[in-house]
Amino acid sequence: METLNLAWRNIWRSRRRTIITVIAISFSLMLVQAFHNLAFGVYAQMVDSGVRSGSGHIAVYRGDYAVSRDDRLYWQSEDLAQQIASVDGVKAVLPRIYLPGLAQSSRESRGILLTGIDPTAENSINPLLKNINAPEVIRSLNGRDALVGSRLLTELKLKIGNKFVVTAQGTEGELVSELFRIRGIVKSGIREVDSSLVMVGRQRAAAMTGQSDAIHELAIVLEHPEWEEQLIPVIADILPKDSDLRAVSWEVAMANLANAIKLDYASQKFIFLIIVLIVTIGVVNTLLMSVMERIREFGVILAVGATPGRLRKMVMTEAFLIGLISMIFGNLLGVLATWYLADVGIDLRDFIPETMEFGGVVFDPIMRASWDFAYMGQMSIYVLVLSVIAALYPAAKAARITPAAAMRHH
Amino acid sequence: MLLRLASRNLWRNRRRTLLTLSAMVVSLALLTLSLGVFSGMLVDILASTTEQYHGHLVITADDYLDDRDMYKNFSSDEQLLRKLETDEVVIGFSQRLRGFGLASHDESSYPVELLGIHPEMEKSVTNLHQQLAEGAYLSGNNGNGAVIGSSLAKKLKVSPGDELVFVTQAADGSIGNDLLIVRGIFRTGHSGHDNSLVLVPQQWLQKVMTLDGKIHEIAIAINAPLRAADYKPALATLLPQGLSITDWGELLPEMREAIASFDVSRLIFVIILYFATGLGILNTIFMSVMERTREFGILMALGLRPGQIKRLVLLESLLLGLIGTLLGLVCGLILSYYMSRFGIDLSTWITPITYAGGTMQPRLKAIFEYRNFIEPAYLLVVVSVLAGFFPARRAANLQPVQAIRED
Amino acid sequence: MIRFLLLLIISILLLPHPAWSVDLKALIRKVEEQYMGLSSKSRMTLNIRSEHWERSLKMDAWSLGRDHFLVRIIEPSKERDVATLKVDKEVWNYLPKVDRVIKVPPSMMGGAWMGSHITNDDLVKANKIDEDYSFELIEESKKRYLIECIPKPDAVVVWGKIVYEILLPMEVPGTVSYFDEEMVKVRDMVFDDIKKIDGRFIPLRMTIQPIDDPEERTIIQYSDIDFNIKIGKSFFSLRNLKR
Repeated sequence: METLNLAWRNIWRSRRRTIITVIAISFSLMLVQAFHNLAFGVYAQMVDSGVRSGSGHIAVYRGDYAVSRDDRLYWQSEDLAQQIASVDGVKAVLPRIYLPGLAQSSRESRGILLTGIDPTAENSINPLLKNINAPEVIRSLNGRDALVGSRLLTELKLKIGNKFVVTAQGTEGELVSELFRIRGIVKSGIREVDSSLVMVGRQRAAAMTGQSDAIHELAIVLEHPEWEEQLIPVIADILPKDSDLRAVSWEVAMANLANAIKLDYASQKFIFLIIVLIVTIGVVNTLLMSVMERIREFGVILAVGATPGRLRKMVMTEAFLIGLISMIFGNLLGVLATWYLADVGIDLRDFIPETMEFGGVVFDPIMRASWDFAYMGQMSIYVLVLSVIAALYPAAKAARITPAAAMRHH
Repeated sequence: MLLRLASRNLWRNRRRTLLTLSAMVVSLALLTLSLGVFSGMLVDILASTTEQYHGHLVITADDYLDDRDMYKNFSSDEQLLRKLETDEVVIGFSQRLRGFGLASHDESSYPVELLGIHPEMEKSVTNLHQQLAEGAYLSGNNGNGAVIGSSLAKKLKVSPGDELVFVTQAADGSIGNDLLIVRGIFRTGHSGHDNSLVLVPQQWLQKVMTLDGKIHEIAIAINAPLRAADYKPALATLLPQGLSITDWGELLPEMREAIASFDVSRLIFVIILYFATGLGILNTIFMSVMERTREFGILMALGLRPGQIKRLVLLESLLLGLIGTLLGLVCGLILSYYMSRFGIDLSTWITPITYAGGTMQPRLKAIFEYRNFIEPAYLLVVVSVLAGFFPARRAANLQPVQAIRED
Repeated sequence: MIRFLLLLIISILLLPHPAWSVDLKALIRKVEEQYMGLSSKSRMTLNIRSEHWERSLKMDAWSLGRDHFLVRIIEPSKERDVATLKVDKEVWNYLPKVDRVIKVPPSMMGGAWMGSHITNDDLVKANKIDEDYSFELIEESKKRYLIECIPKPDAVVVWGKIVYEILLPMEVPGTVSYFDEEMVKVRDMVFDDIKKIDGRFIPLRMTIQPIDDPEERTIIQYSDIDFNIKIGKSFFSLRNLKR
């Protein structure tokens, strides 16, 4: 306690030096925290928009549909969707059916992917539908309302309200056709989606396979993405034991997105490594210098009878205190910066096109931070530990010097 | 005089100088390395479509690219080819005929895109021959061999040696159809190409489509892919009436945007990193100034004016910045060289990723681009001078008498 | 082929409009009875002119009811024995050059059949049309009836309407016009060269005229036709397609 007191008084004796050191360290801490939270937020955004338009956090497929996309792997959902929806932590269950086919207008025809959805469940969740207004919403599971991709619309030379015919292959290999009427337009910015998406009521699409409740996918969106790991076994338990249905995570179902994030995360980690390295050098540097500068002072202290051990302890304590103040101050700044980034964000619309695809998901051009408290805590402790470690060498050195040499120093 | 004083000061406080330098060197070296790796990724993405398919520039009949109408074709033009051959920017070109149709084997058939090529010419533009997963590349201009994408091969359940039937609408309105023998299977990671692209000998395709002697495009590879748009006007003057030339930026606008946006992210990255580095430098110089208060006091007493003191400190930080930049550049070059030679393969960990219409390979490999060195180096010097500014002002404001008494 | 396509059109008339139910129904019955033998064998020439090609195909065709249909090219020799089989909702092509039968997948349904202005889909969809329209007589004279066929709201057809002309007194089709939903005409089918064969009036020529491309057209000309020949469903097999 005495040492602590002494150290505290000591660091404030050369106020300016302490303040500079604290500012340098705490700014570094803020930088790392804010930057990480921003990256963290961008991933969360990507995953969120990806899983909502794609497979959900957890998807239920039959067989290896996740990989093979073999359209014969459809199945009857019966009341499975409701059962899963009642599991704690499940926000929405989206049944979907996907059928490749041909869309024909009176003038043109194009290959498409017919996607049968549950409009009431999907409207509030699927980001592809976020710009669809009330009069454009698909009204029923078995109606003829269709949402089509913007490019497809022009290629078929159609307008809202027009009809078109979709032809697909039935179970026996025969051709089945259905009439749909365009209710709204989906403009995602992903070329493939915009030129091939036809979204319709699930039962109408499923009827083309001959079974009006057939689906390929149950996309399960969770309240909290991090519950995914716990909930997969829970959902797998609900699935009928004798079936070949499987619950898979979005990382399996949407490998492209998962890989994109992994790679980006890898390069982000690399950048972080560099930043942390530079921050480390900065912290060590600062502390090292603030000790070295005081060699003469230490000499005096030793000369008046302090033991080297005590001196070492005091130098370490000082470093610890500086680290602690910097940590508190840095966290304060980090919180403020993150707060700003989470609330206002960085608007990239001036720099990148509004619709840029990455890993099959459109970027949100406004980057926003999310709070990763665990990481912020880790970094705080890292900075504190670093401050103490950085003082080890100077402390040892301080303890080793002879008073006479110290006095000569300078 | 000031310069000598400044360098002596740096030399005297070797440890401090080295510490500060280490921060500069590490940040500059790693910065250039990571920018090199990012550039490498972008070049990979660009190559995934240009060097696996489009070429950097492509000569077609006017408007062919709008709808790829098979009738917008042209006859191969010896004169034009000779001009391309002698152009020093052009490193390769390939004449191609394109056909859309159905490939079938046993019960299954899938829509495909056939490129009728001269194998040797095609090798100078695309690198599909280096991406073979099975079998061999085409060898001659005729025959009925085919090199197909891996996903297509999987869907059709074919391997080298198997027969394929190709059916299309021929130019004369008949059903063009013939047998192909699978010679090789390529895997590029680009799902579009792996799923539907088929390379066949040009004469074979011309016969099936009844388009004898016709081609749809000449794909061109140039020595500086990123500058394709700059070379376009010069190449356009070589073309006869009715043909036009398009660069990859026009073919793939999303990719052009993505690459342009890289400049922004590069800047953001540099700023963030240098903010951290700058803090470190500021800190050391500030401390060294404070530590030397007495020294400055003596210098002033000896007649140095405050402006000169200020310049002295600025000169020190400039000198520090220059040395740091030099060492950082050397380290950066070494690291980048290493990463360009060896790279890090991530393919066991992740698969290729689509990005802005291209495909990113799961590897980290640096490339050399002078901007990745020049900009960070230049900025580092600026940052170190800026970081010296406050301490310099402070040093200049010292009162000689007080300064000497301090300590 | 022509008979098949005629059926396509005629079947449109099968569903009566309430106001005209008796008249139209009776009329359509009559037209239908004239053309629709249970089975037929015919020889015909397909004459196609499009922006990029002009070609002429001589072919043999067999049909049974609406769902079975086989056609084989005789000339030109380069395309000899290329054949198309339609059974119910499926279509196969036989390609003698590679000796393979290729089933036409959904993605090829929009493609032109034999390079003509008939799509593969026209072949497949034919047999459903009778359920899909409601009819209204919009003009009646001594020479013709003009019937407007409006697709039912849920009918699986791409057209906005079809205007169908029946020539009197032979009661054979005249000009059949197809409109898109903006009621802009997309194509005309013109039937003429009416001859009496086996006591029936038959238009021996059909012209398909896309409105957007006035230079283009497909003409189908009968040279020979026999009705009620002895032919069973087993005739329409993949084996017979290859022959």
